[in-house]
Amino acid sequence: MVTTIIEVVITGLLMGGLYALIAVGLSLQYGVARILNISHGEFIMLGGLTTWSLYTALGVNPLLSLAICGPLAFALGFVIHRTLFKRLLDTAASPGVFESNSMLAAFGLMFIIQNVALIAWGSEIRGYSYLTTPVHFLGTLFGANRLLTFGMALLIGLVFYLFLNLTRTGKAIRAAAQDPTTAGLMGVNINHMLALCFGLGAAMAGVGGVLISMCYPVHGVMGLEYTVIAIIVVVLGGLGSIPGSFMGGFILGLVGSIVTFLEPGLALVAYYVIFILLLLIRPTGLLGR
Amino acid sequence: MLEVHALNTFYGKMQVLWDVSLQVREGEIVAIVGSNGAGKTTLLNSILGLVRPASGTVTFLGRRIDGLPSHAIAEQGLAIVPEGGRVFPEMTVRENLEIGAYLSRAWKSRKEMLERIYRLFPILKERERQLARTLSGGERQMLAIARALMSRPRLCLLDEPSYGLAPVLVMEIFRVMQSLREQGITILLVEQNVRRALEIADRAYVLENGHICMEGACAELLESDHIRRAYLGM
Repeated sequence: MVTTIIEVVITGLLMGGLYALIAVGLSLQYGVARILNISHGEFIMLGGLTTWSLYTALGVNPLLSLAICGPLAFALGFVIHRTLFKRLLDTAASPGVFESNSMLAAFGLMFIIQNVALIAWGSEIRGYSYLTTPVHFLGTLFGANRLLTFGMALLIGLVFYLFLNLTRTGKAIRAAAQDPTTAGLMGVNINHMLALCFGLGAAMAGVGGVLISMCYPVHGVMGLEYTVIAIIVVVLGGLGSIPGSFMGGFILGLVGSIVTFLEPGLALVAYYVIFILLLLIRPTGLLGR
Repeated sequence: MLEVHALNTFYGKMQVLWDVSLQVREGEIVAIVGSNGAGKTTLLNSILGLVRPASGTVTFLGRRIDGLPSHAIAEQGLAIVPEGGRVFPEMTVRENLEIGAYLSRAWKSRKEMLERIYRLFPILKERERQLARTLSGGERQMLAIARALMSRPRLCLLDEPSYGLAPVLVMEIFRVMQSLREQGITILLVEQNVRRALEIADRAYVLENGHICMEGACAELLESDHIRRAYLGM
């Protein structure tokens, strides 16, 4: 019994780390660039499937894929912002109009990326096994890949946290998130920062996808589920707070793991229930103000 | 140093500025005074690239800056203390100052600049690690002025720096402005507090309904009947 509880809790925390990472990406895109990126999960899917291809066709170590998919996803996100969202921003009459237009555009992006992926990879579920050696931990057994992905998610989250708080560009991003007009008057090139944030968010999704593929099978239409999870985690933790995203990720991971243990089909339902309760009781999120 | 020539600015179909021209020379304190809604903030926004004038030119240090995005204007050496300070609430006092030094030429020397700023505003040193949203109104205004200085500007624009502050703090802000001038920073001041503005500035422009209706040395303006009646309540 105790072992089962420990197992359920650890499974939840391990999953929560991944949730947190993809939520940090979404939080950055929405918090700074004001784009509720419905296609966020598609970048996760692209990361996962690319890693699968690199591993099965060329034998590329998935850890190396992190260094490939991260920059690729960043470049893709950066270019998409520069071409698509920048245009929407320039033509929008007000911030509210931009938010709704950009969300619709992201919806379109979701369908495009998804279908391109279906053409490129087909609709089969793809998986590979990597580092599945069992590791003993508090009387339970976990695949080494699970622990590795958890560690990487924490590490990437921490590095990003330090980037935002200690570097010149990171501080400019935070200033732009709080007051873009004033940040511009301080010499911060806002359009550049927005594209950078969208790119960084995409990179985090891509990297998240790589990590997810190390443990779970991936396929062309997996994206939306992760988008929904990321949105819930962001709302749970409070927009724009990285510690909040990690806390939200762990909570959602735990809930998912407990519900899955009791009744596997209900995890997503439980997520939605949390989401609705949260919106009713504390819409600013746990760490939000 | 700054030359605004025949500026016409619209909000939608409504014309807010009519043929506004003004000049700021190096080392001066120039005030733009006028009542609420006279177009003072629109004038500043037109200079800063936040609204695009329909016609007219803005020249700074011999270069046309109208039509440039605001970050490019900041790069030319023009800094702003926005109305109400507009400090970044979720950043510490120190981080706010660092963002002030975001421009690459200022970023390199931000440490020594920070020390100078802390000597000028000891209260900011005390509050260094506090989030800016925990500051009082006067402290925020000080922080906004200090943040503008961090960029080592040639010209500093102040938008209603005394607005909403207690008289003793207003005195303090004006004292700081004097010391900026002594450091060789030129100042363009936008004020509703006409008497104070005319007392501290060298020259002033009076903006009424989007027109410059008077201009001249402050000493002369203080003597003018129109100013005394309309703004000084005499």
